[in-house]
Amino acid sequence: MKRRHEKLFLRVDPILCDGFGHCAELAPDIVDVDEWGYPIIKDAPLDARRDASLASANLAVRGCPRQALWIERIANTN
Amino acid sequence: MIAFTTPYLWYTSRATGVVALVLLTATVTLGTMVATRVGGRAVGRFEINEIHRSISMITMLFVAIHVLTTVVDSYVPIGVFSALVPFTSDYRRLPVAVGTIAIDLMLAVWVSSMVKDRLRNATWRYIHYLSWLSLAAALLHGFTVGSDAHRLWMIVVQVACLVVAIAAGLWRITQRPDRAAGRTAHSPLSRAQTAPATPAKARTSVPRSEPPRRTPPPAPRPRGRR
Repeated sequence: MKRRHEKLFLRVDPILCDGFGHCAELAPDIVDVDEWGYPIIKDAPLDARRDASLASANLAVRGCPRQALWIERIANTN
Repeated sequence: MIAFTTPYLWYTSRATGVVALVLLTATVTLGTMVATRVGGRAVGRFEINEIHRSISMITMLFVAIHVLTTVVDSYVPIGVFSALVPFTSDYRRLPVAVGTIAIDLMLAVWVSSMVKDRLRNATWRYIHYLSWLSLAAALLHGFTVGSDAHRLWMIVVQVACLVVAIAAGLWRITQRPDRAAGRTAHSPLSRAQTAPATPAKARTSVPRSEPPRRTPPPAPRPRGRR
């Protein structure tokens, strides 16, 4: 399977998340916070060609104090 | 071991010891600021977290130089072994052991943070609490064997570190956010987006037990954990 045939998504484990809000600061183009400070992640896949969103998603994964974020790879079916 | 001694090793050891103490205090204080969720307006919360992580690494570097120069200098009979295992030094056994304990606790905190995604969060946190003991041990070690410990400027530095550490500890205990307080969005981004859109009345009408979930439920994580 080649890289270009998969889509990347930023995911949050809502059990681990403690609402620190670091992800919303690190990846403001992908993550919103709800009124309690928990993340609402944009459902669109991260664009690997426009590198910015993937880079900020990686920063959010690394910066999470609860390690509640990860990047999921989903293979294209077509 | 080959006899090798020069005053410069001793100077370096003293200087890096002082700097490491100050940096350790800064690391612990910044850590309490991460835990109590300081920031969000002038300084981002993530920035405090990043500074906390970076300064902790610089602290380890200075501690490494402090230990290395002491071990290499043959004027004081402290070997690599007794730099890591307490109560084995032939020189000032007890106060050196206190410094060794500080290093061991620091290493425990460091390693636990490296493997954080393999630990339960509670386990990681209890190990992280050891950094308070490490700071206390470092202060005691500096006060007992520090060559400059009783000079006025060093007393000022030590008292400053102690006061900052105690203040940070009290701050951590009293200002610790409970779950509900953690749910307040402090990010400037979130305020800009929610403040005009949702008035206070609409906010209170949303039941607390059911936050609006727009993210799909996550798939099982690929990494091995727990």
